[in-house]
Amino acid sequence: MIKRGLTKTGIKGLDSILLGGIPRANVILVQGPTGSGKTLMGLEFIYRGITEFNEPGLIIVFETNPDKLTRDACGFGWDLEELQRQKKLQIIFTSPEVFDQELRSPDSLLLEFASEMGAQRIFVDNVGLLNSDLSGSNSTRGGYRELLQQLTESLNRENLTAMFSLEVGSSADSIAITEMTAFLADTVIQLGRERRGRRMHRSLEIVKSRGQDYEAGEHTMHITDGEGLRIFRRVQAPLHSNAQQPTSSTMRSVIGVDAIDTLIGGGIFDGSTTMVVGVSGVGKTVLGTQILREGSLRQKTRGLLISLDEHPAQIIRNAQTLGLNLEEQVADGTIRILFESPQELDVDAHYARIVQLIEEHDVQRMVIDGMTSYSTAIGEVAVYRDFFHAIVAYSKQRLMTTFFNYENPEFLGISSYMPDFPLSSIVDNLILMSLVEINNSLHRCISVVKSRGSKHSFDTREFVIGQGGISLVPLEQNPIPAVPLQSYSSLLSRAPTRFSVPKRTNGAAAVQAKE
Amino acid sequence: MIQILHLVEANLITEPEQTLELTVQTCLLGVGITLLSEWDVLAFVYRHGATLTSAGQIARLIGYESTVVGGALDRLERQKLIESSRPSHGVHEVRIYRISASTNTEHRHWIQQLFGLSESRAGRLLLEKQLKSVRPDAGNEAR
Repeated sequence: MIKRGLTKTGIKGLDSILLGGIPRANVILVQGPTGSGKTLMGLEFIYRGITEFNEPGLIIVFETNPDKLTRDACGFGWDLEELQRQKKLQIIFTSPEVFDQELRSPDSLLLEFASEMGAQRIFVDNVGLLNSDLSGSNSTRGGYRELLQQLTESLNRENLTAMFSLEVGSSADSIAITEMTAFLADTVIQLGRERRGRRMHRSLEIVKSRGQDYEAGEHTMHITDGEGLRIFRRVQAPLHSNAQQPTSSTMRSVIGVDAIDTLIGGGIFDGSTTMVVGVSGVGKTVLGTQILREGSLRQKTRGLLISLDEHPAQIIRNAQTLGLNLEEQVADGTIRILFESPQELDVDAHYARIVQLIEEHDVQRMVIDGMTSYSTAIGEVAVYRDFFHAIVAYSKQRLMTTFFNYENPEFLGISSYMPDFPLSSIVDNLILMSLVEINNSLHRCISVVKSRGSKHSFDTREFVIGQGGISLVPLEQNPIPAVPLQSYSSLLSRAPTRFSVPKRTNGAAAVQAKE
Repeated sequence: MIQILHLVEANLITEPEQTLELTVQTCLLGVGITLLSEWDVLAFVYRHGATLTSAGQIARLIGYESTVVGGALDRLERQKLIESSRPSHGVHEVRIYRISASTNTEHRHWIQQLFGLSESRAGRLLLEKQLKSVRPDAGNEAR
């Protein structure tokens, strides 16, 4: 629903950052260096105004050939020629001098033209050229300021929502012009284009916007063929949530995986976050798959599995070998798999896709497999941490039960849960999956080392991966080793020591005796 | 005709040149353009869609005398190839010029054919030659 008095830009993601749109008749300045997308933003502002909100528009260009503008717009699927034929759009080519003088005229031809076509939006590309014949002295800078004031006055009089583009240069004069223009504009949008490693990153920041609140900070901007601009809110921006929305629940859900349900004692709280830490190959992905599948089959919860390492087909195939048939759930949409290549991962865009999937499919259980790949793909520790915090905050807000798989790099002995990412304090539950060497074989073990608000077991239990996924080895039926894990100490060091006297005689001891 | 233009551009034919010249001549006569300056002004307005400008400014941009462009604009408007708004009261001789909405379909077709032709160097030379041959004194006005 359009808020009263706001002009929606129609540019994907921008209106949500502007918390609904821009106050009507605000003068919007889009500034940035060459190639940052200023002209495209103006073009889309006008195009969306016409096609989505029935607000005719005018585009004033000084340098760009309108033909090329029309041609470039075609690449995004925008037929500007047709809109001009329908008299909903007019692109006017002129010179900065004529534009300046004409708008000062009391019965401006341009404004009369805008009024005749019922224009409600105008884009001027670019206003910096209005200063082109000024030498940069104080008096001429004053002239430019006066000119801009007259321009904004004229446009306000006609109730036109105006967008100006401005090329930002590095010369002293250019900086002065930029500051002056930004001061006079009501809303200032800063576009950026910079190298990050060997790739190019585009950004957008709302520097100011009179008469409204907005999402501050640097957001990500994408330009996509056939679509146009798309703005992705920075992941760490605080959520604008309904104060009534609970962020914790007293409801527990059985996860459906006995290894967890047994150790935690009846399931975990809905909406809790769980970090599963373990060495590569210990079975984290299997556990994640099982959690989602059990949720779908028994709890009727919708699940989402996110992987940067394995393609959905591979995940489905691997699960199949363990008798965990995911195909059916994936086909009927109760389980979604999001795979994105870690190469050139854009964290804001990736986060937006996750949120979109969760909201579109009402996801209640999510498994992120795994966090280590994010660390490698994102590179910057601060951004990685922001991403993680954002996912945790979002999960809490939705009361979604979320599992993060974290690959611990230490094969023998654990000195810390998450050595390169010490954020275990943020999650509610911490599950440790380890490999333990006994005699000459490795055994898989699981321990719950933290579960907020739950009376959980601190026992380390052996588990096996077989048909159906992960299952705990029953205490009384531990075939190998000859004595159960309770007969050892220092299991988490992965170099366990066996007690000299077996604690009890049981089935395992009987096997030993037989041998 | 488009096929012929492609071949001309690729320098693959010489024989159909006469036919092509004839076609160009037909198009020019059809739209009523006889002077190179008229063609250049029409091309300027066509390329820029709607232009808020004066004859003097167009003249500076395309390299003609202001009076020549002024004359060309008047003739093109009389022929209903372009249309203009009322003059601006604020700036001397400034108007909004644009391709006429009332240009008939046949004229539009001819104009588009001529623009297609002018996109190649060979085509531009042929056009220039044709315009000069139609009205030899046009050379006085040319750049």
